[in-house]
Amino acid sequence: MTRDEIKDIVLEIIEDIDDEAEFDDLDAEAPLRDQLDLDSMDFLDIVMELRKRYKLQIPEEEYPQLATLKSCIDYLEPKLKDVAA
Amino acid sequence: MSGLSEYQLIIVGGGLSGIAAGIRAARFGLKVLILEQHAIPGGLNSFYHRQGFLLETGLHAMTNYAPVGDKRAPLNRLFRQLKIPRKSFKTHEQIGSQILFKDYSLNFTNNLDVLRDEIRSVFPDRVSQFDKLVLTVKDYDPFAVGPWRSTREILGEMLDHRILEDMLLLPLMVYGNSEEHDMDFAQFVIMFQAIFLEGFFRPHGTIRDFLYELLDHYKEYGGEIRYRTGVQSIIKHRERVEGVVLTSGEELKAAMVLSTVGLPGTSKLTGWPDDPQHYNGQMSFMESIGVLPAEQRRPVHRQSTIIFYNSKNSFDYRRPEQALDTSWGVICFPENFKGLPESDHFQIRVTNAANYEIWKQADRDEYLRLKKQWRTRSSEVVTDIIGSYDAGCVCNDAFTPLTIERYTDKAQGAVYGSPIKIKDGRTPWANLFIAGTDQGFLGIIGSMLSGVSIVNQHVLNK
Repeated sequence: MTRDEIKDIVLEIIEDIDDEAEFDDLDAEAPLRDQLDLDSMDFLDIVMELRKRYKLQIPEEEYPQLATLKSCIDYLEPKLKDVAA
Repeated sequence: MSGLSEYQLIIVGGGLSGIAAGIRAARFGLKVLILEQHAIPGGLNSFYHRQGFLLETGLHAMTNYAPVGDKRAPLNRLFRQLKIPRKSFKTHEQIGSQILFKDYSLNFTNNLDVLRDEIRSVFPDRVSQFDKLVLTVKDYDPFAVGPWRSTREILGEMLDHRILEDMLLLPLMVYGNSEEHDMDFAQFVIMFQAIFLEGFFRPHGTIRDFLYELLDHYKEYGGEIRYRTGVQSIIKHRERVEGVVLTSGEELKAAMVLSTVGLPGTSKLTGWPDDPQHYNGQMSFMESIGVLPAEQRRPVHRQSTIIFYNSKNSFDYRRPEQALDTSWGVICFPENFKGLPESDHFQIRVTNAANYEIWKQADRDEYLRLKKQWRTRSSEVVTDIIGSYDAGCVCNDAFTPLTIERYTDKAQGAVYGSPIKIKDGRTPWANLFIAGTDQGFLGIIGSMLSGVSIVNQHVLNK
């Protein structure tokens, strides 16, 4: 998967969790939590959805690496590089 | 053994915490089974039929009202977690409620300014103290682990006005306090937020509709539920549990078990806690329901959603010495929510604190006599407040602590469960967890959030 494809996947998962999420002014380097008004329960859903779709096991201590859209992509890129989009 | 399990998660109890937990686990592909001892779901928040009327049990209203779009509000977080579109859940807010003591009265709605203005006119020198209390509640994290703190002590210092303190405590205690006399300050904060800051509402449909909508959703994710299925014990093996034995003798294996039947109920299934009497709540209630034809509905029946009455100016929340304490209680008009369509009938529901032991010790004849006698006494007190209504009822029913115990399996009919809560949901077994009332969240929204958060912490977050 390319970085752009991973970005689309992350946004799709967030939209699936919160149908009111607005991505128009999203800053890729600022925390998703503040911009989208998400909480830790919503973050767990991102993790669970990645596990369900790609069998990815993300340990709890690595959750902070999902804080921004850019850090999500950085973190997922090596893990999803062999996965077809 | 996990490879041999029939289920990844078995949930004991098909009430709202169990159903919410089930949805949450099934949503992420776990094989889940809910076991419910009765023929219908809901536990404490359920329904039954009398003379052709559907009567709801449990709460008079839901708490924690939040409009669509307020993403951080507990109600909306819950719907997101269950993946149910909040927009599809039509709600009706309360008209307004009243705290009515012998010589004082305070009205409140889902807008805090109304209560503040009332306090300004009734207790003018206490407004700034009340404002300070509101700020304290807003800043307080009730879910942080900490020691029990006395609400009475904190309010005594902060408000320094016993009557106002008692008035604020009546609705918060009667709708969610498992302790007598006092209340853990964290619990006070949860209830203050749920009732005064967020407020009362009800769904457009009945609790029956709500339960079956949730269960349809659960089944869409592949979740299973079995009714009329009692659990006899939980199978233990060293530090783990391996499943359950049903009252039929059938054994079901599970990788994890979630008990929503309270601490006394869990003790029956596992032997833990080994001193279940410490976990018996003292507070139970009798509820009388009267159904009246619409043509008898007078203006007084339309004014309030809920009246919290007290015929004295001081309030002590405790198990009464007599079978029932009619000196204080709750009068609810379940039709009085904004925008509910008019129907052919309306209800008046009355709740009073009851003494479980007295009801328990009565033989059948004495029990029926007590029920009739105290129902009448209660309606006499209520008549003083809202005028005569009893003679006009086309359907009358009442349930006592024994009815509650029988149908909900809450020990001693204690609707708010144990005064001691297990906030982290853990038990001595690594894969057995507690959710629901005795985990610490209360009310319909609270108990559902309990099921969700325990599954998040212990089942999904692995």
